[in-house]
Amino acid sequence: MSEPRALVEHFYRHEFGRLVAVLTRSFGARRLDLIEDVAQTALAQALETWSRRGVPEDPAGWLHRTARNLAIDAWRREQTHARALPRLANEAERDAEPPEARFADEIGDEPLRLLFICCHEAVPVESRVAFALRTLCGFSTAEIARGLLATEANVQKRIERAKARLRDLDIDFDALAAPQLRARLDAVLAVIYLLFSQGCHATHADAPIRRDLCDEARRLARMLVDHPVGDVPSANALLALMCFHAARFDARVGLDGGLVPFEQQDRSTWNWADAREGMAWLAKSAAGDELTRYHLEAGVAWEHCRAPTFEDTDWGRIAELYDALDRVAPSPIHALNRAVAEFHLRGPQAGLDHLAAVAPENVPTRYPGWHAVIGEFQFRLGRPSAAERAWREALRLTSAGADQEFLRRRLAECRRLLDPAADPNH
Amino acid sequence: MPKFLFIFRHSTDPQSRPSPEDMQALGAQWHAWMQKFSGSILPGGDGLKPTGRLIRAGIETDGPYIEAKEFVASFSLIQADDLEAAMAIARECPGDNVIEVRELAGYA
Repeated sequence: MSEPRALVEHFYRHEFGRLVAVLTRSFGARRLDLIEDVAQTALAQALETWSRRGVPEDPAGWLHRTARNLAIDAWRREQTHARALPRLANEAERDAEPPEARFADEIGDEPLRLLFICCHEAVPVESRVAFALRTLCGFSTAEIARGLLATEANVQKRIERAKARLRDLDIDFDALAAPQLRARLDAVLAVIYLLFSQGCHATHADAPIRRDLCDEARRLARMLVDHPVGDVPSANALLALMCFHAARFDARVGLDGGLVPFEQQDRSTWNWADAREGMAWLAKSAAGDELTRYHLEAGVAWEHCRAPTFEDTDWGRIAELYDALDRVAPSPIHALNRAVAEFHLRGPQAGLDHLAAVAPENVPTRYPGWHAVIGEFQFRLGRPSAAERAWREALRLTSAGADQEFLRRRLAECRRLLDPAADPNH
Repeated sequence: MPKFLFIFRHSTDPQSRPSPEDMQALGAQWHAWMQKFSGSILPGGDGLKPTGRLIRAGIETDGPYIEAKEFVASFSLIQADDLEAAMAIARECPGDNVIEVRELAGYA
């Protein structure tokens, strides 16, 4: 019996992901239900045993040996059943080679390969993030639902759909060759980016778990650039972008747990270790002549990071970057951000004019940020009733607690201007 | 001092499984429990592998809990002054286990 020791943070979750990746190599992506079962059972056994005897010297090695034995047991049981039930014989024949022969002794690039399987073109786009969070990051359905602001039933459905597709396709884990991986790299980057953006939308109650999504996105991206296939400028730029945003995380949330508006954030609490890491990735991303949306977004995030005060922000440079971004990846959201830069350069009317230039059919009417920004411009133009209309619409569309709180505060300010008599402080 | 066997049972319902992150929290709580009662916990406790064999009337099957609602997952050996003292330790076990507390007869 060894001395009880503490496990590193997220040990169980990350080991679950590694076990699933290694087992997927042994059993194939079509057996993911069995694989999750084996990984889960190995973790449960670890918890039981270590609770009585203490954590062993090499907990990860212990888990992998246990999972390996469980997998071999499961395989033997299937063989026995297959002999008894001829309809399973065909399945068993394909697995005739015992898993001992296929079970990798060391963790190699299995997690990375599993990430590329999660982003297979046959897996529906809306399933990919949920599926990666389950298989690679070890989140439960309930945790994913909280992270993605979706219902558990919806998350479960997305994961089941991904599994069903992979069962039908029977993708060969080992056959994933470098050219194939490179072709799928954009989809992998998109999933990591989406994972990070989901985590960035902090909500009141679930702030820690959403911060976890951002950490997972960075973990996956670091794993990606660690491998020759993933060490490309776009991936480096994505990592830079995430680091610059992460540097500001602590400043975004106030002592009361509410969101602090950007211009009021305490820049001394920005995390310079993250910012420096971002700079290193950004420098690396400049290799080659590729300019991706991640480069441009990292550029914007860096501009915000490097300004010593809000007033020192180089809005002209940011406006240029958003113009370039809108050319590389046209989106009304980029136009919206460009309008904010325009507002800081030339005032609220210029910001509104910029938004008015967006074609009506492209206006993201369901995006709360669109209405929130219009409200801000109108408010600054001294039109509280127009601001109130826009902010009410934003409030109706937003589900994040901290954002709702912010909008309510702004709406109360409109009320005070519109109806001074009703103001208790007046 | 009397010795007690704590038998820990878990539900076989997959719905009741803790998530990996829940396990991390449970592990830390167990760690604290072990520290707190290190004077009472005797060496020898362990987890049990999920698979085993069952012999009933000479017939061997996989088991023993394929169809049961609960299975024995682990056990601990505890020394305590009496059953009530042992129960006090059991009540502080983390998680929502079913724990059977049995005094060792000491016949041998």
